[in-house]
Amino acid sequence: MFDKILFISSALATIVGAVLTISVKNIMHAAVFLLLSLLGVAGLYLTLGADFVAVIQLVVYVGGVVVLMVFAVMLTAGSSGQKANRFGLVKIPTMGNFRTYTIGIVFAALVLMTIIKLYTNVFAMSRLAQIPAYSPTVSKIGISLVGTHVLAFEISSVLLLGALVGAAIVSRPRRENR
Amino acid sequence: MSTKNLDIYMPILILLILGVAMVSVTLLIGKLIRPNNPSAVKNQPYECGEDPIGSAWSVFNMRFYVTGLIFIIFDVESALMFPVVAVFKQLNDIGLGGLVFIELFLFILILASGLAYCWRKGDLDWVKSYHTEKGQD
Amino acid sequence: MNQTVASYLLQYEPVQQLLAFLSKLLGFNAISLLYFLIFALAILAAVGFLSLVGGLGTYAERKISADMQARIGPNRVGPYGILQFLADGVKMLLKEDIVPTQSDKFLFYVAPMLCIVGVFGTIAVVPFSSGFTIFDFNVGLVYLIGISSLVGLGVFLGGYGSNSKWSMLGGMRGASQIISYEIPVVLSALSIVLLSGGLSFSSLVKAQGGWPHQWFIFHNPFTFVGFFILFIGSLAETNRAPFDLPEAESELVSGYHTEFSGMRFGFFALAEYIEVFVVCGLAAALFLGGYNVPMNLGGDGLIGQVLQLGSFISKTLFLYYMVIVTRWTLPRLRVDQLMTMCWKYLIPISMVNLIMVGLWMVAFDGKSIFDLIFSGASVATGTGH
Repeated sequence: MFDKILFISSALATIVGAVLTISVKNIMHAAVFLLLSLLGVAGLYLTLGADFVAVIQLVVYVGGVVVLMVFAVMLTAGSSGQKANRFGLVKIPTMGNFRTYTIGIVFAALVLMTIIKLYTNVFAMSRLAQIPAYSPTVSKIGISLVGTHVLAFEISSVLLLGALVGAAIVSRPRRENR
Repeated sequence: MSTKNLDIYMPILILLILGVAMVSVTLLIGKLIRPNNPSAVKNQPYECGEDPIGSAWSVFNMRFYVTGLIFIIFDVESALMFPVVAVFKQLNDIGLGGLVFIELFLFILILASGLAYCWRKGDLDWVKSYHTEKGQD
Repeated sequence: MNQTVASYLLQYEPVQQLLAFLSKLLGFNAISLLYFLIFALAILAAVGFLSLVGGLGTYAERKISADMQARIGPNRVGPYGILQFLADGVKMLLKEDIVPTQSDKFLFYVAPMLCIVGVFGTIAVVPFSSGFTIFDFNVGLVYLIGISSLVGLGVFLGGYGSNSKWSMLGGMRGASQIISYEIPVVLSALSIVLLSGGLSFSSLVKAQGGWPHQWFIFHNPFTFVGFFILFIGSLAETNRAPFDLPEAESELVSGYHTEFSGMRFGFFALAEYIEVFVVCGLAAALFLGGYNVPMNLGGDGLIGQVLQLGSFISKTLFLYYMVIVTRWTLPRLRVDQLMTMCWKYLIPISMVNLIMVGLWMVAFDGKSIFDLIFSGASVATGTGH
């Protein structure tokens, strides 16, 4: 019974959060609804038994990405000086008219058809399978990260180093020529 | 009982809903019993009694964003380290501790070199001079 | 494994009889309903206790600071002024809720809620005792770190939503301080996870013992330093002095919560005091032996649970006292000193700690420094093997 409640509330949070993110006019409010959506996704991971992934979603997405987005919104919206509505940007004219909606729906339909075609086989096979009982996932992930997938582990640190250096360079101010 | 038995996650959901409910209900109750006499003076932002001058945006606060960027890199690094560190003890008991230590050490070393780079280039300085001197960088 | 307070209580006869009674009454297996009832009661008890601690924390702070400053502090409301926090709560509820015209009503509603939700979410995994932990999540440490980052978001949105220069500055400083100091806290906690071998609080606590020489703080010199790094980082995470620049009473009026009046401010304050208790509990569980009782008195029965609860709460309240004393002793750090200390001192030190604890584990097979001294002494005196 509770797994239904957990699933429905997580799915509701995800969908409502996502819909409100794209439809609300104020960008900061959209960031808050994105937070709600990501919390819902963490709940969905819990229903699938991926407890470690759910808490990492909390740590990285909720604690990192949303904070970073909020900082970015604050930096870009504030310094422009334009204030059409109180906190948001000037409503960009190409957002939300008929042309953009049709293009968006066409592409969404294309992507959806591709995904459905790819996954029909998977669904047909797994409909009869029993979901395995809960088992803790952390030790399995850890052992595979130092065992069979150690190269991925180390290369991810190199990737993070590249991201760090790139971010530092991009956000550095231009060198002033005196 | 279901095979997954998600009942253990009940407290988290209860607590989150309780938090939302407590704030909402308390503010609702407050709305009923509070006085409500808005006036133009009361609704101004507080600036030690003076009239507020200018908008709320002041300097271009790039350093907050740089801090956030560096933070997210280290956050993902710690997220990757959690499972490795969690199995360290059981692998140490088998005898593979040295190998896992070397892998962990490499991981941290690469990211520490990133931190050293940011340090050297002045990205970690809060009060940064935005004018680099000739010949540097 | 995941153990909860409900599964612990189900060991006892009366609870099993209650389950049988409920199942007979309702016709289906009522275990989920019983879980829900037990969880609801435990959560109400925990939230009530922590709110009491939060309220009494304000009273304790005023009394302790008064003591340090040679004055008396609140002593009118109730015996020795102990009901002062109730009077403050009633006052906050009755005050007019001023929402300035150019502030964002939605964010004014969401920001205190995010702080409260972030702090309440951590209550589920705080290791009060081996049986009374509400939910011993097997990745409990990561969960605690993740959900308490909602508080940082609440601080920032509170400052941003006020649309006033001082609040904005306080909010930005607060958020960047909270996210920066999360990293040394996580790295110090990771060095403890190395020693204990699991991410759940019960495994972190059970790897220690009841006597002080069995605590992780005295395990090796690196964890000793790690405790202080965790403590300093936790002070910064909760915006407590000397890191209270976001609140900065003498500079920014009241920082990110200047414009919040009445109960909205009350929620920020309550969230801060409960969060201080939770992070002190975290430090006690990781480094000071958590709920372990010396010689494991009382075992796992109800008496043992009460003793463990007492042990955990006394350690946490001792750390709480140290937090309060630190506030009224040290001057406030400037914002660039704050950031420099985090990125240039605490993070390199905690990285070195992590590496060294790993090396210690490999070299000495995870034995604490006391084990090494005692076994070395016994070998030296000829009684060892």
